[in-house]
Amino acid sequence: MMTSGFLRWRTGLTAVAFSFLAATSALAQSPFQIVTSSGAGSIRLAAANFKATGGDPAYQHTFDTVLFSDLESAGIFDLVAKSLIPTATPGSPSEMSLGQWSAAPASAQMVAFGNLGVQGGRLVVNGFLDDVRNTQYPQVFARQYSEEPSEDSARQIAHRFADEIILRLGGGTLGIAETKIFYVKLGGGNKEIWMMDYDGANQHAVTHLGTIALSPRISPDNSRIAFSALDKNGFQIKMWSMLLGRLVNFSSAGGANLSPAWAPNGQQIAFSSSRTGDPEIWVSDTSGNIAHRITSFVGPDVSPSWNPRTGAQIAWISGRTGLPQLYIMDADGSNVQRMTDGGYATSVSWSPNGQFLAFAWDRKYGPGAPGGQDIYVMEIATKRWIQLTHDIGRCDFPSWSPDGRHIVFSNSEDGHDSHDRIMSMLADGTQQHALTGTGADMPNWSWK
Amino acid sequence: MSTYAIDDREDKLRGGLFGAIALHVLLAAALVAVALLRHTTQHWGEHSSETGAIQASMVSAIPLPQKAPPVDNSVLASEDVSKAPTPPKEATQPPPRPMDVLIKAKTPDKAAIKPNTVTPPKHPQPTPDSRKATSGEAATQLPQSIEDVTHGTATLTVQNRTFGDRYAYYLEIVGRTVSQNWFTQEIDPRTPVGRSVTVTFDVDRDGMPTNVRIQTPSGVPSLDNSALHALQRIENGFGPLPAGNQITISDTFEYHR
Repeated sequence: MMTSGFLRWRTGLTAVAFSFLAATSALAQSPFQIVTSSGAGSIRLAAANFKATGGDPAYQHTFDTVLFSDLESAGIFDLVAKSLIPTATPGSPSEMSLGQWSAAPASAQMVAFGNLGVQGGRLVVNGFLDDVRNTQYPQVFARQYSEEPSEDSARQIAHRFADEIILRLGGGTLGIAETKIFYVKLGGGNKEIWMMDYDGANQHAVTHLGTIALSPRISPDNSRIAFSALDKNGFQIKMWSMLLGRLVNFSSAGGANLSPAWAPNGQQIAFSSSRTGDPEIWVSDTSGNIAHRITSFVGPDVSPSWNPRTGAQIAWISGRTGLPQLYIMDADGSNVQRMTDGGYATSVSWSPNGQFLAFAWDRKYGPGAPGGQDIYVMEIATKRWIQLTHDIGRCDFPSWSPDGRHIVFSNSEDGHDSHDRIMSMLADGTQQHALTGTGADMPNWSWK
Repeated sequence: MSTYAIDDREDKLRGGLFGAIALHVLLAAALVAVALLRHTTQHWGEHSSETGAIQASMVSAIPLPQKAPPVDNSVLASEDVSKAPTPPKEATQPPPRPMDVLIKAKTPDKAAIKPNTVTPPKHPQPTPDSRKATSGEAATQLPQSIEDVTHGTATLTVQNRTFGDRYAYYLEIVGRTVSQNWFTQEIDPRTPVGRSVTVTFDVDRDGMPTNVRIQTPSGVPSLDNSALHALQRIENGFGPLPAGNQITISDTFEYHR
């Protein structure tokens, strides 16, 4: 009797044990899935402070700062913060100890380092990039730069070195550190065309016309700027030669001629002209001849932008249905497609790879409507869009960087035109930062 | 008459009784003998002290036949090239002595040919100059880059081994760029887990992938196409080649959940 009772208790215990085992094995069969990323991660890169070889440490500081900010704003690296890098400043590959950099807290995969100094009246910079994990052959590349010693050339060398790193490590991404941004500078009642480096440094005037110049567009070969300016015939398209430093011929026509846009081959210009009464998109050669109209609808057609990849399509803003909307068409005016479904769209820019349109859009336009004018990016194939700016005031005039990873735009926090400033961001809306103070508007990023 | 008859009957009865008793005693003795004999035989698994239980003793290891020593002359994913094994001497049979063979004048038949035939080797003989492993193609090279993406793993190998060592970072960039452009959403979700497709392509001087072709199809068209699309999407290439004019890269795309 007792035995059988014991037996029964033991079988009960076994049953409990079995059910427990079954439970644990069921847990083991469906482990927690942690998806770290949809794509692959980015390279962890450290930029060491360069070693000053008996020269002016001022250049060295400029160089380090510019190099760091270039690599950071490229948006393709996981850059090691300056506070985490080892205190040693290796000036040459022989002084480089890879273990220091691969260990925590730097945990770098790549290290950019080198030295700079003034030798024989020249600023000489030796830059190296090492793959820390490849102890046998660490060096990725080595570069030597030599320039007139000045603050600006230290900046330019840093830009070039950063571009080289980005080209080598970015998987074919072209660096943009040497590109320029052209914009309109408001001053004393006039508006002149100015230019600056892509990071906002080195701002200086290009034109001194003493009038109102708008919407500068640099040619694909960086040799000319097309813009529209007010003269005795009203707003006319003007052509400024960067090589000659003066205006060159562009035929004027009646009505308001606004918002020029370069075809990617540099042979044609599309612009908006009201010479026939209604603002329409016209296409002419680079001196304003053989102009022909490619839109013919009642309602204004303005702000053309060529597809920089194919040169076969033009995106523009049309008010043919009331409020201005975003449209695309073939370069001969056929095949018109409306892209936005409402709101108030202005100033479009076509991405360098031809896949996206960046534009300013007030999605709920009208008295008392929520939201404001922000920058949006639309994928042309699907017409899906994302909003890039939120609650930073009125945004307008987006322009793509040549690598298709950045967008520059103008922003006015309080909505006043005179308070416009130029801001830059990554094409996903992150890393927004101002490049200029107020009084700058209508940015245009150079093609290269 | 009657007494005789009775006596006679009693005699008959007694004889029957003794016979029966003897038979029973015999039967009983036989039973006892059988029982005794049966008791002495041991049952299978039976133990003297604890009957009814099976005894099992723990051993530390099961004695297995000895493993064959690893083959040294096979170059399996090793850095240093081991010396090629000397080709084994062909086991030719000694030629028959002339007197052993019966030579028939008219019909040189099978019996005469038989001793000359060399039996072919059971397995393929190692070729002396080849660095290739004899077993399995995949083990000859370690992957240069392994990238995990959602629902997939892209493993990259390069055929030029020295390039792979010297410019490991470049191949990592190639692997990263390819897997960034591999959209696993394109793959039919009914694809069995673990299917993989190997795509081979050349990278030219400027870093552009060219000559993209499927080396080993997975058998799932959508997986094959997704791998091809990944390479077709790469517009700007991988950046200029650090050395040389061209390298050939194999990328294996494995589907998982």
